[in-house]
Amino acid sequence: MDLSVLDRLKWLQQQQMVSPEFLQILGSDGREELKRVESYLGNNNDELQSFRHFPEFGPDYDTTDGCISRTSSFQMEPVKNSGHNRAISLQNKRKPEGKTEKREKKKIKAEDETESSMKGKTNMSNTETSSEIQKPDYIHVRARRGEATDRHSLAERARREKISKKMKCLQDIVPGCNKVTGKAGMLDEIINYVQSLQQQVEFLSMKLSVINPELECHIDDLSAKQFQAYFTAEADSKQSIMADFRSFPLHQQGSIDYSVMNGTVIISLCSNKSFIIPKFLLLVREVTYFFFLFCRKIRHHQAGKLTHNVFTTA
Amino acid sequence: MASADKLINTDVPEKDVFAFHFLQSLSNLRKQNPFDTPDQKNYRVRKIKKAAYVSMARAAGGSSRLWSRALLRRADKDDNKIVRFSRRKRKVTWKISSKRRRSNQRAPVVEEAAERLRNLVPGGGGMETSKLMEETAHYIKCLSMQVKVMQCLVDGLSPK
Repeated sequence: MDLSVLDRLKWLQQQQMVSPEFLQILGSDGREELKRVESYLGNNNDELQSFRHFPEFGPDYDTTDGCISRTSSFQMEPVKNSGHNRAISLQNKRKPEGKTEKREKKKIKAEDETESSMKGKTNMSNTETSSEIQKPDYIHVRARRGEATDRHSLAERARREKISKKMKCLQDIVPGCNKVTGKAGMLDEIINYVQSLQQQVEFLSMKLSVINPELECHIDDLSAKQFQAYFTAEADSKQSIMADFRSFPLHQQGSIDYSVMNGTVIISLCSNKSFIIPKFLLLVREVTYFFFLFCRKIRHHQAGKLTHNVFTTA
Repeated sequence: MASADKLINTDVPEKDVFAFHFLQSLSNLRKQNPFDTPDQKNYRVRKIKKAAYVSMARAAGGSSRLWSRALLRRADKDDNKIVRFSRRKRKVTWKISSKRRRSNQRAPVVEEAAERLRNLVPGGGGMETSKLMEETAHYIKCLSMQVKVMQCLVDGLSPK
């Protein structure tokens, strides 16, 4: 039962705009009755439509679920509506409307202050939109059908929608979540996925621990080519040039000097060997990785001084 | 890797960053236990696993995420280092007391699943459900990246 429509019709009746036949229709389906009501409202319907596109309510306006959203506003004249507002306050528990956005919470608060004089706590009476035009300083809160207008439940709803939005984002990330519907199933899927990922990490670390002690020094000697081969998809032309590094003398004392000259980068150890790499083939990541490894290697194996100049690409 | 989410920023660095950090931590491990392999296999496995998590937390953006901070704090606590973020921790626990009081009134289905998630995701104890969802999304992305890196490494190192 849609109480707000009932109230609205009572108010209309006072205005002598609607015949009492419509009260009988209210027993039927909610949406149907609203449509009928709105069809009988005539020119007021147009104002409702135009009000729906009010820019104040912006992109968050949501009619995808098929509910007809109405604006509810507070009627400033106490005389006419005192009757049915008291009726509303009596039926406080079963509130028929009230979807708001978070940013309209302040409006609810302001509305509360004005309403307290009317003896309704967080009640909002659903009135004719024509009255809106008479009183432009109304506080507008978008209301959804069949939901409570209590401030706490509004906050709850806003929070729940935030959570469901984020869960939709999660749904895109976790594979296989599309088939399951409903929050509970999705959350179970997500939990299972996280658990399986953690188990995979553990399994792979076990595998690594088996492999690792047999190939102790292997990781340190990883060349750029191997790094690329392991971790990146593109591996073709750069490998041949980078393979030179494998024969790089790692046990030499001295300095690593990167210098940029004429569009090429010269990596040279202080002794005789040096390699020239065309700049466009350099990947910064690999070189920094190399740099790091060489420093580490030299630090470990030699007691000598290490000097290095950080290179900059032009 | 840019994410398609417009609500949450779940950008995660490339695979190379993860690989770099992981290899760095592995070589750190080897530096600590240079030549003698510990007898118990579990010890080594645990060390590697811990190194994997720590490197993942560092690669995914150090202090900029709640879960990475909690992970690093947990790892440092094991090593008896001084905890740097104690002030934030106090702030977090205040949040728990204020938000948990009303938790009975929230949707019970979501909340009990969120409880389970909190046990899984590091640092989940001090977060509200909506924040928990963001952190879970980022955590899942980083975890999957770390798994890929480790898989590549194992494939590369395994004898052919």
